[in-house]
Amino acid sequence: MVDFSLTPDQESLRELARKFARSEMAPRAAEVDRTGRFPEEIYRKAWELGLMNLNVPAEFGGTGLGLFDQCLIVEELAYACAGMTTSIIANCLALEPILLGATPEQKERWLRPFCADYHLASFCLTEPSGGSDAAALKTRARRSGDDYLLTGEKCFITNAPHAALFTVFATLDPALRHKGITAFVVPRDAVGLVPGREEEKMGHRASATSTVRFDEVRVPAADRLGAEGEGFSLAMRTLDQTRTPIGAMATGISQAALDLAARYALQRTTFGKPIAEHQAIQAKLATMAQQLTASRLLTWLAAWTIDGGARGTLESSIAKCFSSDAALRVADEAIQTFGGYGYMKEYPVEKLLRDAKLTQIYEGANEIQRIVTARELLKRYA
Amino acid sequence: MEIAVCVKPVPDPDTRLRASPDQRTLDPEGVKYVLAGYDESAVEQGLLLREQIPGSAVRAFAFGPAPRAPEILRSCLALGCDSATHVAANEPVDDPLVVAAALGTVLGSRPADLILVGKQALDDEEGLVAPALGALLDRPSFSSVTDLRWSPDRARFSFRRSTEVEVERWEAPPPLVLGLQQAWNDPRTAKLPNVLKARRMPIESVPAAPGAAAGRSVPLRFDLPAPRAGARMIEYSTPAEAAERLVRILREEAKVFP
Repeated sequence: MVDFSLTPDQESLRELARKFARSEMAPRAAEVDRTGRFPEEIYRKAWELGLMNLNVPAEFGGTGLGLFDQCLIVEELAYACAGMTTSIIANCLALEPILLGATPEQKERWLRPFCADYHLASFCLTEPSGGSDAAALKTRARRSGDDYLLTGEKCFITNAPHAALFTVFATLDPALRHKGITAFVVPRDAVGLVPGREEEKMGHRASATSTVRFDEVRVPAADRLGAEGEGFSLAMRTLDQTRTPIGAMATGISQAALDLAARYALQRTTFGKPIAEHQAIQAKLATMAQQLTASRLLTWLAAWTIDGGARGTLESSIAKCFSSDAALRVADEAIQTFGGYGYMKEYPVEKLLRDAKLTQIYEGANEIQRIVTARELLKRYA
Repeated sequence: MEIAVCVKPVPDPDTRLRASPDQRTLDPEGVKYVLAGYDESAVEQGLLLREQIPGSAVRAFAFGPAPRAPEILRSCLALGCDSATHVAANEPVDDPLVVAAALGTVLGSRPADLILVGKQALDDEEGLVAPALGALLDRPSFSSVTDLRWSPDRARFSFRRSTEVEVERWEAPPPLVLGLQQAWNDPRTAKLPNVLKARRMPIESVPAAPGAAAGRSVPLRFDLPAPRAGARMIEYSTPAEAAERLVRILREEAKVFP
């Protein structure tokens, strides 16, 4: 029987995430958004509470949650600040290739010390000359004795200026396209690995983003993830896992936007009554609630599908794409409900729009999500 | 050292409150009950003392109906309490003497060197359970306690009490009943793995002593505070005009000055 109720465990973890989000993250969100400061004290606290390495099994020092439970947490965190949430969950993205592709010895070596203390990791796939066309990446991995030498540049890398560990995708030969792509794990102190200057971003300003340059970085063959040429598949399987939480993040933004708009509508009066009594505003709130509810349910469906052991590519691409498009519309309508005040930085709604925008772009742009959705869909008709 | 911490389920400060249909009490429908306020400080203080005194245990006790009482005991376990005991009641009871009697009956048969409670509950703020427990168990009791320390050399607790007029400094040997105002640290937050672990830990349930439900105080009527009147905006074109209008309102309408 279909059942949308949460278990007592899920209620508990959602409550913990909500408490952390509203007491630790929300009070700092506006300040950090204004200054672009990287609020490491908040991330450290998230790690201490077990809110950081959510997908890493408990045996390696992570929290070991399924995707559904991760999504419950991500929605709560994003409600308070999507930017901080991006930095908090970036470890899940960076460590997922290790969870999927590392040998038991490698997992022991990388995950246990990493999770035993507060550390950040970065997932290095995107390059300046192309993001969506991941098979065309140019960072080279050349064999040199028992080692590889990595040379190239990655961009838009979350947490890179602060990361201790990098999962890097490089090609043995660009002519091989996706068959040449190979994954490596590289520590921050590797000679020749240089994070670039922090980018100034439109939103998600609590999160740090930079380029990472690899200049003849020597990586032992023992630090290769999987076989040569398995990197592309590893990256795609990683994104299959991590795209659904972006749906949860977008849902959190939409919920925040609706809450702010509805409360404001009840309190602001025009023409002698609260604007919530005007049908134009009611229609906005109703549409926002539809978008929000559909986002959450699509995200839950995708997470539930993947937790059940299926790859869930169709469900997760639908959830990510729909929820992020919805978040942009819902945040937009929240600003419209606030009118001129909504456009002012003194009010918290304009930040939601800027934060929502990124959810349409990262972890697979929505154009790619639609291609993925269509490809999965058409397989069922072929 | 055996440390008992008594906690009370109180409405989540973030929930929307309303009166019950008979207007006698809070309507529990849709209200989430949580561990909050000074009780959190009491738990924190117990855990801090356990870290300081080798071989100590912190045992949580809550009186009230299920599910609210066991639910906050789970919070205590997630924070690190060693055990939890639910003193079960069929109905919610607010009368502080009844609460103290129910807890005291159970605590009287347990080895508790130190009994900690929040100095008052977040909801009714009566502050009577600590002194009542002290009287019932024939132990010294103090309320509004801060800065509680254990001196192993002298086998005594030292602490402060803040009153309206002074800060008192006290020393006393166990056994004691203390109403906590503040622990050394801000109350800790439970870690996610411990929250999940606490869900699988056993909670002992003992029935409240017979007669414990008969309260001496009977609630007559429960009202929520009247909503605050809205602010009044003064229309003006110059600051001088705004000041003049404000003074006129304060004098003629609010009658703040003649």
